[in-house]
Amino acid sequence: MYIGNETNRIDALDKVVGRPIYAEDLSVPGALFGCVFRSVRPHALIRRIDASAALASSGIVKILSYRDIPGENIFGIIKKDQTYLAEDRVRYVGEPILIVLGQTEEAARKALRLIEIEYEDIDVISDPFISGGSRTLIHEKGNLLSHRKVIKGDIEKGFDEADVIVEHTYTTAWLDHAFMETESGVGYPDNKGRIVVVSSTQNIHYKQKEISKLLAIPEENIKVIQATTGGGFGGKLDVTVEGFLALSVYHAKRPVIMRYTREESFLSNTKRHPLYIEYKTGARKDGAITAIKVSIIGDTGPFASYGETVCLRAAVHATGPYEIPNVHVDSKMFYTNNPVSGAMRGFGVPQLAFAHESQMDEAASMLKLDPFDIRIKNALKKGSLTATSQALHNSVGIVETLKKIEPYWRKRTRESGKTGFGLGCMYYGIGNTGVSNPANACLTITGDGKIALHTGACEIGQGSDTVLAQILQEALGLKMDDIVLVRGDTDTSKDAGSSSASRQTYISGGAVFDAAKKMRQYLDEKGFYKGRSIRDIYNSEADKKLLEHNGFFDPPTTPVDPETSKGSPYATYAFATHMTEVEVEKETGSCRVKKVYAAHDVGRAINPKNIRGQIYGGIAMGVGFALMEEFIPGKSGSFDNYYMPTSMDMPDVEAFIVEDQEPTGPFGAKGLGEPALIPQAASIVNAIKDATGVRAFELPCHIERLKILLEKAKR
Amino acid sequence: MKAIHFTLNGKKASCEVQDKELLLHTLREQFSLKSLKEGCGIGECGTCTVLIDDEPHYSCLTLASKINGHDVKTVEYLGDAELLHPLQKAFIDSGAVQCGYCTPGMLLSAYSLLIKNGDPSDDEIKEAISGNLCRCTGYIQIIEAIRNAAGLCKCKS
Repeated sequence: MYIGNETNRIDALDKVVGRPIYAEDLSVPGALFGCVFRSVRPHALIRRIDASAALASSGIVKILSYRDIPGENIFGIIKKDQTYLAEDRVRYVGEPILIVLGQTEEAARKALRLIEIEYEDIDVISDPFISGGSRTLIHEKGNLLSHRKVIKGDIEKGFDEADVIVEHTYTTAWLDHAFMETESGVGYPDNKGRIVVVSSTQNIHYKQKEISKLLAIPEENIKVIQATTGGGFGGKLDVTVEGFLALSVYHAKRPVIMRYTREESFLSNTKRHPLYIEYKTGARKDGAITAIKVSIIGDTGPFASYGETVCLRAAVHATGPYEIPNVHVDSKMFYTNNPVSGAMRGFGVPQLAFAHESQMDEAASMLKLDPFDIRIKNALKKGSLTATSQALHNSVGIVETLKKIEPYWRKRTRESGKTGFGLGCMYYGIGNTGVSNPANACLTITGDGKIALHTGACEIGQGSDTVLAQILQEALGLKMDDIVLVRGDTDTSKDAGSSSASRQTYISGGAVFDAAKKMRQYLDEKGFYKGRSIRDIYNSEADKKLLEHNGFFDPPTTPVDPETSKGSPYATYAFATHMTEVEVEKETGSCRVKKVYAAHDVGRAINPKNIRGQIYGGIAMGVGFALMEEFIPGKSGSFDNYYMPTSMDMPDVEAFIVEDQEPTGPFGAKGLGEPALIPQAASIVNAIKDATGVRAFELPCHIERLKILLEKAKR
Repeated sequence: MKAIHFTLNGKKASCEVQDKELLLHTLREQFSLKSLKEGCGIGECGTCTVLIDDEPHYSCLTLASKINGHDVKTVEYLGDAELLHPLQKAFIDSGAVQCGYCTPGMLLSAYSLLIKNGDPSDDEIKEAISGNLCRCTGYIQIIEAIRNAAGLCKCKS
């Protein structure tokens, strides 16, 4: 057995000796350094730019503007509305305007300060509630980016049947991914005259397509390579340095390096969407939830990025992992002149989990029910209909995750008056929402007698390389030494889609499994399983094309109805329950997370050690989301004033793996990356309520906010 | 420019540095020690950690000229792929590595702890690595690795 083992990561050895080459570590002789000149105004017309002094300064080679773009000055993962370089107008603080290419980083950064620009300010829209009705348009077609609804049953009837109604408003802040490695990359022309970009990224094939449009050069003349990547969490899905590098190489015809400073990363990188969530729950005396009505207002900043995805995904997941007969969710995403918000671990679902899990506890409290009992009563089961009326037939492990936690919940005891316990549950659709999102994988037999796995899936630290290798080993019955991984290069792999939406184990894993089935049959026919060597098979095969076997997997989904979102947006869902113990110092408002019990239904655990790593990392991010992290535009700019969890903030964690196998997944596996984070903040907020009697409706519930809540409660 | 002489990973080293040159840049550029990372440049994240006389320092805040006559260690000192230090081995075995960007700095802070304290408590381990941010792992497997390595290091001595 190769799956289910405590296998070590295949990249760990290199990483503990400091050997991996991140983009910034590439030494390219003769490379220029590229810096971005950015807007300091949130909304303004550009009247005049004078870059002459900068261009004349020592060590400056070129300064590029939008006029230097040979193709289209536009990109975006879904809706293409974001300019690489501003034309006549800027729409947020930090928007790129020019690229300065210098002989050295120092020269380029110095020259930025010599650029003079004259702005004419326009009305600034800093609030999504004002955005929709404003006459100031951020884009021609209006300020509403997306409006989605989820409608199931009869909402009025549902509330009529309820004995209690719980109604609250929840708000969340901007969060930064704060991956340890900032955005960086290197571009260069290769000896075939193509443009090569090596970068820190979550999706090489998407970047290749965007660069092709930017430069009006066919895709085959653009090559994108993933350097070792120091974390992503959604923040390296959009085009960051890649477009600028490609444009710079196009003009300079020599290598160019770019690396954002931490301050620049904070300023320019997409953020977690702040959401404003009005949530009304109706429940019967026995705890059955009869109806929910939810209104979500989101702020995506001036460009779409993943705003539409978040708008829909938040709506679809608004119920939480519960079967609720009557559902009405209205979700709107507006443009503003605030920072661009995009993909961040969970696409809006962590925000909604904070709301639905708080509601669950409030309903339990009104009905004098145990928070555990109300959850298990409403939990999705085999045969349940989700909010989109999708019938769940397989792999519905929410009840099992609850049961893993139940013994700890039942025997919980308060050590002191400071202690409190809270639950958080979640479900999460694996892969993109209601759209085809396939992955390819290719297996070949090499001349030195190995099986090569070609994949475009990006290892960003989450462990996909190891998991895909394990799936391949299991499917073919091969040792690691018999496998080579050829990955992260558009020349050698077909599109595997992004490393996002917790999709690579399930989808790329499925593609690897598909290719391995074909390879296994081939190897079997050639006598490999009767003792013939792979090298011998290679040598004896006259037609080398027969040595290649392609795999493909696209999860079976259906598009959702544009009016009601009825449909099967995901082929499978992950489920989880977290229980958290906190200790609150009521005099100061300081909250310490002491212990977390976390149970996750992953379908099948390919690599339990990696799974625990994802769970622990998700919990850390959840602690940050609940208690400390908040990006405040204009104020947050570095780790000096953006606080995220250190080792001192981490609770003890006990992780439990539930395996309710998914028939469409490789060996039954689903995904885990985002689920690990999603219920954590909710369980902390519920634990704080249990400890203190006060409930946070606004995240982060940092020390000042909690102190104020405690003071107000005294009166 | 100023000539400096110091011990780098157990060997004598010399180079010329500018007055305001940061140790991070000297080691990355003049000695090609790319395991040091610039995660923030202001001494908040710990990815640039080096040991100076076996104490962890942020090389992004340290003037290169200040290390004249001192002992400097980077992760390369601990071991290479053929001969891993027990700490490195423990990091692999505990699953303490994900994206790997914080790993060299984290290992150095842990090493500095273990040479001073062969049997640290979990709280002491947490404190020792509190200046090294990690966004991926939630620190738990890192703490476990350091605890396990402490046992191994003791067995060795």
